[in-house]
Amino acid sequence: MRHLTRLAAVAALGAVMGTGVAAQELYAPNLSYRTGPFAATGIPLMNGQRDYMTMLNARDGGIGGIPVNFEECETGYSTEKGVECYEKTKGQAIVTQPWSTGITLQVLPKTNVDEIPILAPGYGFSPMADGKVFQWAFNTPASYWDAASMMLEYIGEENLKGKKVAFLHLDHPFGKEPLPLMEKKAADIGFELVPIPVGLKEMQNQSAQWLQIRRERPDYVIMWGWGAMNAGAITEAVKTRFPMDKFIGVWWAGHDADLKLVGEDGKGYKSISFSYPVLDSPLMADIKKYVVDEGKTMSNEEEMQGVFYSRGLVISMILAEGIRTAQEHAGKAEISPADLRWGLENLNITEERLAELGMTGMVPPFQTTCADHTGHSGGWMLEWDGEKFVKASDLLQAEAEVIRPLEQQMAAEYAAENEPWAVSDTCDAES
Amino acid sequence: MEPRIPGRLGEKSQMLYRTAGQFKTSYEADQALFPVRQDALLLGVILAFAWVIFPLTASEFTFQTLLIPILIYALAAMGLNILTGYAGQLSLGTAAFMGVGAYACYKMVTLMPWMNPVVAILLSGVFSAGVGVAFGIPSLRIKGFYLAIATLAAQFFLVWLFEKWAWLYNYNASGAIQVPNLEMFGVYVAGPQANSLVQYYVVLAIVSVMTMLCINLTRGNLGRTWKATRDMDIAAELIGINLMKSKLTAFMVSSYVVGVAGALFVFMWRGAAEPNLFDIPLSFRILFIAIIGGLGSILGNYLGAILIVGLPVVLGIVPAALGIPIASATVEHINVMMVGALIVFFLIIEPHGLAQLWRLIREKLIIWPFPH
Amino acid sequence: MLNQIFVAPFIDMIGAPDFLLQVLWEGLVSGILYALIALGFVLIYRSSRIFNFAQGIMVVFAALTLVGLHAMGVPAWVSVGLTLLVMFGLALVIERVVLRPLVGQPDIILFMATIGITLFLIGFGEIIFGGENKVMITEELGIPTGSVMFEPWGGLLILEQKDITAVIVAALLVVALLLFLNRTRMGRAIRALGDDHQAALSVGISLQTIWVLVWFIAGIIALVTGIAWGARAGVSFALEVIAYKALPVLMLGGLESISGAIIGGLMIGMLEKLFEIYWGQPLLGGNTETWFAFVLALIVLLFRPQGLFGEKIIERV
Repeated sequence: MRHLTRLAAVAALGAVMGTGVAAQELYAPNLSYRTGPFAATGIPLMNGQRDYMTMLNARDGGIGGIPVNFEECETGYSTEKGVECYEKTKGQAIVTQPWSTGITLQVLPKTNVDEIPILAPGYGFSPMADGKVFQWAFNTPASYWDAASMMLEYIGEENLKGKKVAFLHLDHPFGKEPLPLMEKKAADIGFELVPIPVGLKEMQNQSAQWLQIRRERPDYVIMWGWGAMNAGAITEAVKTRFPMDKFIGVWWAGHDADLKLVGEDGKGYKSISFSYPVLDSPLMADIKKYVVDEGKTMSNEEEMQGVFYSRGLVISMILAEGIRTAQEHAGKAEISPADLRWGLENLNITEERLAELGMTGMVPPFQTTCADHTGHSGGWMLEWDGEKFVKASDLLQAEAEVIRPLEQQMAAEYAAENEPWAVSDTCDAES
Repeated sequence: MEPRIPGRLGEKSQMLYRTAGQFKTSYEADQALFPVRQDALLLGVILAFAWVIFPLTASEFTFQTLLIPILIYALAAMGLNILTGYAGQLSLGTAAFMGVGAYACYKMVTLMPWMNPVVAILLSGVFSAGVGVAFGIPSLRIKGFYLAIATLAAQFFLVWLFEKWAWLYNYNASGAIQVPNLEMFGVYVAGPQANSLVQYYVVLAIVSVMTMLCINLTRGNLGRTWKATRDMDIAAELIGINLMKSKLTAFMVSSYVVGVAGALFVFMWRGAAEPNLFDIPLSFRILFIAIIGGLGSILGNYLGAILIVGLPVVLGIVPAALGIPIASATVEHINVMMVGALIVFFLIIEPHGLAQLWRLIREKLIIWPFPH
Repeated sequence: MLNQIFVAPFIDMIGAPDFLLQVLWEGLVSGILYALIALGFVLIYRSSRIFNFAQGIMVVFAALTLVGLHAMGVPAWVSVGLTLLVMFGLALVIERVVLRPLVGQPDIILFMATIGITLFLIGFGEIIFGGENKVMITEELGIPTGSVMFEPWGGLLILEQKDITAVIVAALLVVALLLFLNRTRMGRAIRALGDDHQAALSVGISLQTIWVLVWFIAGIIALVTGIAWGARAGVSFALEVIAYKALPVLMLGGLESISGAIIGGLMIGMLEKLFEIYWGQPLLGGNTETWFAFVLALIVLLFRPQGLFGEKIIERV
C-alpha cells in the first residue's frame, strides 16, 4: 500500500512537472501502415488510435496516472517490416498491435512464446476467439466470422434460399478468412456461393471480376476488400450498374473516401461495422479540446467525421480499458504484459461504461472472458446515403451457435499443427 | 560477416598488408583461393566473428533483423549471381524460385514429419532446380531484356500457382503456410519454439557450405564455361562450348541455391509465409543486393546484403536513438528514398559493385604508402 | 474436359454476343493503357537503350502532381500545364544526375538505375502527397463521365464515356507522336540516335538534349495515362503495378517498335480478358490476368525471339 501511494505521488509529480518520468510509462507500440498500397485505409485508423491516446495523456495524464507511449512503427503493410517492428518493440512493449492479417499470422506463434498479448481488433484470425488455445491473442470486439454471419443475417435467410451470392475478395489470407463460415452457411441455408478473387495487382482494375459478376448475375455481392481494392470495386459496380443495395462490404470496405469517389452513385451501398461515428459525443468534444485545438492531431476535419477515424478511437479505447482493468487487478500502474492479458480477458464494456467514456453509440457493449477473446459485440449495418454512412439496421448479433464450434475446431487444428502449443488449463472453453 | 576490414586498415596496414616476399613457386599456389596470406587471415577473423563473437553478443533483435536475414539474403543473391553475374542471364524471377524451395520444404516436412529439417531444406533446392531448368529453356532462344521479361512469366505464374494450388498449403483456410515446430537432435530448429541462436547456427552452417560450393564451382571448369557464355555466347559456341549445357546448368545451380535460400527464408526466419511474399519486390531486392554487391563476385553478395538489409534497420533506429521526433511513416518514406538514391549513387561511383570497391581498396593498400 | 477447353467457351461467346462485345471493349480499353505505358518504354529504349522501369511511377507521379496542384486551388487546365513543367523538370534532373554519369555503362546497370529512380520517387511522392487514394479531377478537365448504352441482339453493352475519351485521346497522342518522329527535325534526330549512336553523334546531334526531350515525352505520355487510368479507380501508389503490364507488351511488340507497342498492347489487353473470362474463371480459379500476358509473350518469343515487330537480331562475333 505504501508502495502504491508513493507511486501515485511520483505520478502526480510527473504530471505537475509536465514531463513524464522516463521509466514510468506504458509502452504500447502500434505497427502502423501509413505508406504502401493500403495506406489509404490505414491513415484514418492510425490517426484515430493515436488521437485517443494523446487525448488520454493530455486529459488524464495517461492511464492510472502514468502516460501511454503510443509509438508507431511503420510497416507499410509489409510482413517483413512488421516482424522487424515486433522484434524491435517486444522487449519493453506490453502489447503488440500487428495491423495486418499477414503480420498477425507470423507474430501469433511468437507471442505465445514471448508471452505478449496481441491485440487485433476486428481483424486477424477468427479462431483467435478461443482464448483457451490462443491465450495471448485478442480480436475484440468482433471477428471476421462475426462479420460474415451478421451480413447474411441482415440479408435474411428467406432472401438467401436458392439465391446466388458472389463473394468478391482479396486473394490474400485476409480475403480468404471468412470462407469456412460462408461455405458452411451456404450449405446450411442453401444458397450458391461464388468466390471471386481479386489479385493484389488487379485491385485497381477489376473489370474482369465485374464482367464475371455480370455473367453470373448474383443476387448479392459480399465484398472482403482492403485498401485500393474497395475504390476499384465500387467504381466498377457503379459502371456495370450493379444494384448498390445488393452490395455489402466488410467493415474494412466501409471507408468514406472510397465512397466519395462515386458520391451519389454509391447510394445504397452497405458495410457492416462494429463502430459508428457519433460526432456530438463527449469523447469527440474532448478530442477536439485536448488534441485538435492543441495542434497535436495528424488528422483533418473531413477525415475525423468518417467511419474509420472513429473506429481507430474505438480500437484504442479497447486497449485503454484493457490497461485500466489490468491496473485495477494488479494493484499497480505499471503493468506487465501478463497483467494486460488478464485485463483484456476481463473487459466488461457496458452501456454505462460507454456513457462514462463519452462513447455511447460508437460501439456496441461487449464483454470478454478468458475463454472468449472476441467478445462478439455484434454490429450495425451502415448504408451510404450519398454523402456519409448512416445506420441502416438495429444492432445485429452473429450466430454464436454456428461460429463457436467452428472456432474451437479450427483453433484445435491450429494447436495440433503447431505442437507443442501451450494451452490454458485454467479456463473452461465451454463457458 | 561484417565488412570490418576498412576500419582496421588505417593504422599499420603497411605491415598488415604487404604482399612482397610471398613468392609463388607453383601454378597451384598462384591460383590458390588466397594467394596472399593476409586475405586468409582476414577470412579467419571474419569467420571468428560470425561463429563465435556475434552469437555470444547479439541480442534477439540483432539475430532476427540483421544476422539471420543478411545471411539468407546473401545466399539468395549468390544464387542469382551465378545466373546473372557468371552466366550472364538476367533474371527477375528469383523470389518465385525461393517460393518453390519454401513450398517444397513445407510439403516435405508436413508429409514426412520424421524428416531431418536440414535435409529437407537441402532437398527442397532440388525442386526449385527442376523448375528453374524448365523456365531456363527459353534462354536458349531469348536474350537480354527479352529474357528478363520472360523470367517474369515464371515470377507471376508461380506466385499465382502458390495461391491457387491448395494442396501446396495443405488446404489451409488462410492460404498461408505456417512452419511447424521441428526438432533435430532434441533441439528445436524451426517454428515458434526455436531459439534464434540455434537458427542462426543452422543458417550460418548451410550458408557457409553453400558459399564454399559456389566458390569452387565458379572457379572450376563450369564457372569458366559460364563466364565464356556471359562474355559472348556466339564466340563461346565457336570455341566448342555447349551453350545449352552451359545455360541450363547455370539455371539449375542458381535455382538450387535460390531454392535453399527460400526454404531458409521461411523456415529459419519468417516462420510463416503467404504467396505474395514471393512477389516481385522480393525479386528486385535480391537483384539490388547482387548488383550493388557486384555481379560476378561471391564476396559482393555479402556486402550487398549488409547494405540493403542492414541499412534500413539502422536508419530506422538512428532518429529514435538521437531523440529526433520524426513520425515513423516519414522515416519509412525517407528510407525508401535513401535506398533508391543509394542504388543510383553506387551505380555511378562503382558500377561493378562493392566487391570492386573492396578490390580497389585492397590494391591501394598493397602499394601504400606509395601513391603509384 | 476437352469439351470445357475447346467447345464450351466458344458456345458461351456465341450464346451471349453482347457480353462478348463488352469483354472485348473492356480489353480494348485496358489494352490502350498498356500500349501507352509501353510507348513510353519504347521511346526511351530506342533513343538511349535504357529499359526505363520508372515509367510506371512516372504515371503515378504525374497524376498525383496534377491532382495535388488542383487541390491547392490551381484551375484544372493550369494544373495540367504546371504538371507538364514538373515532368520537364524531372526529365532534366534525371538526365543530369543519373543518366549523364552513367553513359556507356552496360544495359543492366542503366536498368537498375531506373529502379533506383522508381524507389526514390515512391518515397519522395509519399512524403509530398501522402498515401491516400485521391480522386482524379475528371469533370474539371472536361472529360464526360456518363455512359452510352447499346442493345445489340437484345443484350446490353455499356461504354463509359471516359473510356471512349481515353481511347480517342490515346489515338490522337499516337498520331501526334508519329508525326513528330517522322516529320520534325527533333523527331528524326531521336530516330537517328536509335539507329546508331555514334553516327548520330558525329553528325552533330546532342545526346543530352535528345535524352531530356525523350524523357519529357515519356512524361507527357505518363500524364495522359495517369489521367485515363486515374479516372477509372482513383490515383494512388497502387497504380504503379500497371507498369508490369507493359512488359509483356514490349516482349510481344518488340522493344524498339512503336507500332509493335500499340498493336501488342491492344492484343494483350483483349486476349487476356478473353482468356480470363472464358477459360481462366471457369477452369483455373480466376486471376489469370497476372500471368497470362507473360506466358503468351514467352510462347511467341520462342518462335520469334525479337518479338512480333522487333528488328531482326543479327549477331556478330
